[in-house]
Order: sequence, then C-alpha cells, then structure tokens
Amino acid sequence: MSAAFEPVRIEAPPPPWGRSLRRWLWLGPLLFTMLLPFAWMIALSLAPHAGNSFSKALRGPWDLSQYRALFAGTNVGRYLLNSAIVATLVVACNVATAAMAGWVLGRRRVPAERFWTLGVVATLMVPKQALMIPLYLVMARLHLIDTYASLVLPFAVDAFGIFLVRQFVTQLPIELEEAARVDGATDWGIFRKIILPLLQPVLAVVAIQSFLANWNSFLFPLVFVDSDRLRTLPVGLALLSQTEHSVDWGFLMAGSTLASLPVLAVFVVFQRRILSGLLAGADK
Amino acid sequence: MRAYSRATAWALLSPWVLAFAVFGLYPFAFSLGASLTDYSPIRAGATRFVGLANYAQACTSREFWNALANTGWFVLGSIPFTTLAALGLALAVQPSFRGRTPFRVGFFLPSVVSVVVLSLVFKGLYAPGGSLDALLGALHLPAPAWLQDPRTALPAIMAMDVWSASGYYMIIFLAGLESIPRDLYDAARLDGAGAWARLTTITLPLLRPTLAFVLVVNTIRSLQIFAEVFVMTRGGPLGRTTTVVYYLYEQAFSRFHLGYASAVAWLLFAISLLLAVVQMRAVNAREQAVR
Repeated sequence: MSAAFEPVRIEAPPPPWGRSLRRWLWLGPLLFTMLLPFAWMIALSLAPHAGNSFSKALRGPWDLSQYRALFAGTNVGRYLLNSAIVATLVVACNVATAAMAGWVLGRRRVPAERFWTLGVVATLMVPKQALMIPLYLVMARLHLIDTYASLVLPFAVDAFGIFLVRQFVTQLPIELEEAARVDGATDWGIFRKIILPLLQPVLAVVAIQSFLANWNSFLFPLVFVDSDRLRTLPVGLALLSQTEHSVDWGFLMAGSTLASLPVLAVFVVFQRRILSGLLAGADK
Repeated sequence: MRAYSRATAWALLSPWVLAFAVFGLYPFAFSLGASLTDYSPIRAGATRFVGLANYAQACTSREFWNALANTGWFVLGSIPFTTLAALGLALAVQPSFRGRTPFRVGFFLPSVVSVVVLSLVFKGLYAPGGSLDALLGALHLPAPAWLQDPRTALPAIMAMDVWSASGYYMIIFLAGLESIPRDLYDAARLDGAGAWARLTTITLPLLRPTLAFVLVVNTIRSLQIFAEVFVMTRGGPLGRTTTVVYYLYEQAFSRFHLGYASAVAWLLFAISLLLAVVQMRAVNAREQAVR
C-alpha cells in the first residue's frame, strides 16, 4: 500500500528513440483527436462571432471580449467565488478530519475500531447519488437548505481520505510516537509535531482528490441551493446554458474554460500525485 | 504503550462519527421510513403511512421502466467500449518509451474536467450545423440530428461518456498491469511465446481482478448518470434520455414526490448492489474455472 505513494517505479533505461517514435506515430494522432474537444472549447471562447464553427474560430481574430461579457452580464464572478470558498473549506475540513480519524483508526487503539473502519469502508461503497434524496431531507430538517453549510458540511468528512490515511498510518513505525511520549510529549504535541509531518504525502493526495471532486461537483449543489448568489460555477454554468444564452457558444465556452482552468492547473502541477493516489485507490 | 489517551482518540474520531451518523446512517434510515409514506412538502395535510405503495407504484410506472431501460441501454452500450478502450490505452502506454508521461496524462485529462463542461462542449459539437455536422458533410456522410433525434440522443451521450471515462479506467488498468511480475514475461519470452501469446496467457488472466474492479465501479457510476442528461437533453427527446437518477431528480425536485422518490432511490440502490455482486461473482467464477 505504501508503495503507491512513492514515485512511479523507474524502469530499466528507456528504449531507443526509434521504437519510441513508432509509438508516437500512432498514439500522437489518437491523443490529438481525443483532445480536440478542448481545443474547440478554448478556440470558441476566444473568437467572438464564430458561432459554433471551429474553422471560423481558428481563423480568429481572438480577444477576451466574451470573457468580459460573461463577467459583466452574468453572476459568473460570484459563482467562481462561491466555488473557491466551498472548495477551500471542504478541502481544509477533509484534510484535517482525514488526518485525525486516519491516525486513530490506523493505530487501532480505539474502542470498536473495527466498527468505525467498517463504517468508513461501507460509506466508500455506497454511491453518494443514491443518498441525494435522503440527504436533502436531512438538510431540510436541519434548516440548512440554501446555505453555504449545505455545500460544505455533508462533504467535510470524506471516507476515502480517512481510508487512505488509515492505510498509510498502519505502515508507519510507532517508535517515534513512543519515544516522544517517553520525553513527555502530550497527545496533541505528538499529533502536531510528529504525525502531521509524516502524513504530508498522503494528505497531499487527499487534498488534491477532494479539490477535484468538489470543484466539479454538480448534483448536490444543484439540489441544495436555490438562490443565485450561492451557486457554484458548474451549477451556474449549467443553468446559464438553459437561459437565452443556450446557443451562445462562445459565451458558454468562455465559462467552461474558466471552470476548467483551476482543475487543469492543479492537474498539471500535481499529475504524479493524482495518478499515484488513483493507483492507491485501485489497490484496495 | 498507548499511542494516545482514550479521550484524545474520541476527540480525534468525533468529526467522522458525527458526520457518519448525521449524513450517513440517519439519512439512510430516514429515507427508508420516508419511502413508506406519501411525504411531499407542497401537499396540504399530514403525511400518511402508505406501506409499500410507492414501490408498487414505481414497479408499475411506465416512466420508471422507461428510465430503467434507458439506464440499462446506457450501461450495456457504453461499458464494453469504455472497458476495451481503457484496456487498449493502458496496454499502449504501459511499456516504457520516451515521452510516455504526456500520453498518460493526456488520455486522463477529460477525467479531471467537470462533467458540466464536457457536456456543454459536446452539446456544441452535436448542435445542428456544428463542427461534427461539418466534418460528416466533408466526408459526404449523412448527419443525424444527434441530441434532437430520439434514436440518436442516448447513443450520442454514451459516445461522450466512452470518450471521457476511458482515460480514467486506463489508469486503473495501468495499476493492474504494473502489479504483474515482470519475470513472467521474461520466462515466456525464453519459452518462445510471441506478443499475442503473452497477452492472452499472462496479461489478460492476471488482469481479471482489475477487470472486475473496473466493471463494478463503472457500472455503479453509469447507473448514476445525471449531469450529462441535465445539461444536454433534459431527459428528452420524448423521454429517450431520461435516466433513473434524472427521473429521481424530476420526481423529487420538480414534482416534490419525495416519498415516492425515496422509494425509487432505494430501488436504484438495490439494483446497484445486485449488479455489483453478480459481476464480482461472474468474474471470480471464471477465475476459478481458469485455474
């Protein structure tokens, strides 16, 4: 399990250029075709008056006028801010609670440890969408519908993160904690000064995964929030596409590009950790 | 020696315990109860206990069966292609070659982008007079009306799903491929086994657990298809793209039949669970048969 957090295994010296080149010759066009929809999205967002014609959009001229129109004519700035606030809160809560619960469950020194771990695994198995209506009913009972809390609280503690940290902790030697205890460290001191630094690699994976999932989340923010001022970007964008802007492709693609930039940035910077986190998830 | 005191343990565990109780167990139990009532926030009068009437209503509702059939077609029609594409991509980018990482990252890219964005992009590509029509026109092929034609709307959404999900399952297959011991291939090579023989006698049999995982995860995910439908077709034309979760959403939040919708949610949950168990069994049984 811990191997999954190490850098991808480096294999024997890479093969000669000739063989690599042959692979590029057929994988290259395939990848190019697969990524064309994104090129379409970006080109249309930059080319006003292109309608939904890719060839017109590629010929230009390019400017940012559709982005400006988007910010001036709609609440997209607000949606962006909401998405950022909600994602920040959810990621922070996820990382904190995953570290806390993961350490406790990983050390297996808590009453009914098996029950709690089983609860974590069971939560992983249940598709969240199946809980849409039950969760909605609970949020309504707690009078949390149409608040930021409804976008954060149900997702603040995530079983996947706890499970990853728990698996990671079981591989950590306990001696450091014991030595610190002999030196008179408190529980809190051990957690903060020893455990948190050791957990850094796995917490990074938790943070990235939780950011990607939350930034793109659609169904729950759609259902839990009514007012326009609380909408997150994907919901705002989807609803915008069903107004009079429904065939305003350049306009919608500007919004789409905007919604994709943060995840693409996170992905490009952290791709190795994202892929290794996925491999860890697939291992279980 | 203890790692921490009992009080600390509970303090650290409490957020999870609380969340598990309030957003996990409680809704689970509450919705089971709600599914036995005619609960609706917009109807006057008290909520009544109706027993299994909601389940009976779902089982005899043509709309529900239509949604179930659409979802079934979606699962049956997209998963074989996604699985084959994902396996093919994984096999293509697994061996070491120069510049391999950009390919792994590139094929995975659609998986990190919001489904709303992907759906909007494909809605634009499928639009009448759009780029896909232009491409087909250039090839002198007839262009269907895609999302507006009841016959092609669902396949059009499925095609997008195959495109966007393949890279994700490619990564899962890669994890499986990496876990196959290299010396097996070396031994097979010494015995004179060709590339095809190595694929069919080593790679595919040893990938079976990964295959099971991919099938189960993708089935459960495909049973939940919603955002694509919401953005691209709103369930139309003629209800031909209404999936179970979209039906659930409409019943709950357009018509406010929350009791009935809870029953439908439980049926969906039961179907997901059943399919997952059947798939696990099937793959395991074949594994035993091979041995």
